[in-house]
Amino acid sequence: MGTISSALSLMSQALNADQAALNVVANNVANASTPGYTEETPTWQENDPILINGVSTGTGATETGATSQRDRVLEERLNQQQQLASASGSRLTALDSIQALFTPDSGSSSSTAGDIGSDITSFFDSFSSLEAKPTDGSLRDAVLSSASTLAVDISNAAKSLNAQRSALDQQTTGVASQVNALTGAIAQLNTQIQSISPNADAGTLEDQRQLDLSQLSRLVGINQSSTEHNGLEITTTSGQLLVSDGSNYQLTSGNVGGVTHFFVGATDATSQLASGGGSLGGDLTARDTDIPNALASLDQLAYSVSTQVNSLNNAGTDANGATGTAVASSTTGAKTLDIFSPPTTLVANTTSGGDDVSGAAAAMSVVMSDSSLVSAASLGQGTGDGSNATAMANLANQTIVDGQTPSNFYSNFVSTLGSTVSNVQTENTAQTASVTQLQTQNDALSSVNLNDEASAMTTLERSYQAASQVFTMLNTMMNSALNLGVETAVA
Amino acid sequence: MQEAGIRGEPTKLKELVVEASRALARLDAGRLEELALSCQALNRELTPANREEREALIRQSREAAGDMATFSRVLEATRANLNVMNRLRDLRMGRLEYTHPQMRDPADRGSGNGDN
Repeated sequence: MGTISSALSLMSQALNADQAALNVVANNVANASTPGYTEETPTWQENDPILINGVSTGTGATETGATSQRDRVLEERLNQQQQLASASGSRLTALDSIQALFTPDSGSSSSTAGDIGSDITSFFDSFSSLEAKPTDGSLRDAVLSSASTLAVDISNAAKSLNAQRSALDQQTTGVASQVNALTGAIAQLNTQIQSISPNADAGTLEDQRQLDLSQLSRLVGINQSSTEHNGLEITTTSGQLLVSDGSNYQLTSGNVGGVTHFFVGATDATSQLASGGGSLGGDLTARDTDIPNALASLDQLAYSVSTQVNSLNNAGTDANGATGTAVASSTTGAKTLDIFSPPTTLVANTTSGGDDVSGAAAAMSVVMSDSSLVSAASLGQGTGDGSNATAMANLANQTIVDGQTPSNFYSNFVSTLGSTVSNVQTENTAQTASVTQLQTQNDALSSVNLNDEASAMTTLERSYQAASQVFTMLNTMMNSALNLGVETAVA
Repeated sequence: MQEAGIRGEPTKLKELVVEASRALARLDAGRLEELALSCQALNRELTPANREEREALIRQSREAAGDMATFSRVLEATRANLNVMNRLRDLRMGRLEYTHPQMRDPADRGSGNGDN
């Protein structure tokens, strides 16, 4: 009887185990559309055998829970690529806004900040026109008008850049808050997962943690490592601890030099966060590198043009026969014949050895309101002379801005900016493509059978092989064509 | 299959490169294999017949240079992903062969397992 009873018990356990396994399958089906859900498989545990009449007899198996089919290696790779793609994506968005300031609108010759390149040409051309007819009042008015257009456009561009920088600064504060919320949530999940993990799979909790990690990766560059009982330690890419099992460490902020800096503990991690990845990295790079670089170029241009033009105008004779003096106004600091407001008091830059010209672009304006004060004549040549106007027109072709002519300096600045945008665009396209590929592979691995997994791998390999062929052929073809061009040019 | 060439109504090199990058991003192996055939055909017709064609080819090559850099980066990322996937496959195969209790041959488990 003992044997029949054991057999019945065995069958009963088998039915229970099968039912539990069916529940796992039903759970998989029910969650097929749940974001972040990972397929689970039942875990079977062999029961201890019993002795019946001296013979060891098995007692079946018991379903002890479900194990999620996740691959940490792939998920980590996906998170890493996501960090890079997010960083380049947010930097690209900021760069596009910067570039738009200097790109004429479609169907128009002016951009949001006007067309500074044309303004420079028009301004110096106005002196060329004046040199032939130095007593012509309308030509004198044209000089001040074009000076005003140039000053307003440079000043507006600088102000717009400063506004973008402030907006990015606010954005980074918001991102840091999201980072703190996520690290707090992950720390809580760690605690829950660790309490379950020694004995069972934490299925949905791990899925939730993975979703939070994925979201965190979009925001900030992180490294992760497993700890005891399926816990997790998260650091920034430069090593500052954000989460350690059930504890999280907040990013705090403070104002340093007019912008928000971020701290982990007492360490200022701003520059590391900028290079670390995630949208925070992209925003900080744009805020602390791209916009300051653009502003520095505009400041240099504004400072050089203003000081050189003012200097020459003060050295000549105006339409009234007056000459500029070295005496500056007590209120504005302007000399008698300044056309542009003089750049703010200069402070020697101990790093570069040059002058600190910061703020010159935003402050650029025309202070001269009477066009008869334009010094078309050189000193002692009489009011009918136009040689000083010629000298000012010639500034267009002199290397007065950081070793370049004003037009070339501006043109190189716009070209460098365009090149940066193009490079970041290339990075972002490649990184986004990589994320797309990994998501495809991740979907194949976490939700289908082994045959389909093999098929997904084959597709990846086939795609890579075919793309390599395409690349090699195109590369050879283009190099041959360009070499052809060199030969043609030589011939 | 899309025709690609310099003569007639040509597919510009730039379009070809951009299409290859897109196809690789979405792992469209079929499309990439078509593009490889297109490139072979294009390669055969490469020798320009006259100066205009030669200049057109040089111009197209210059225009496509930026997109070629992007394609190169996508290819580089794909190679890195492929390496990761291959390592992952090795890892999984190892787990299946040596550590996964459900996938072991029942004959290896010995007698008295309770499921006989």
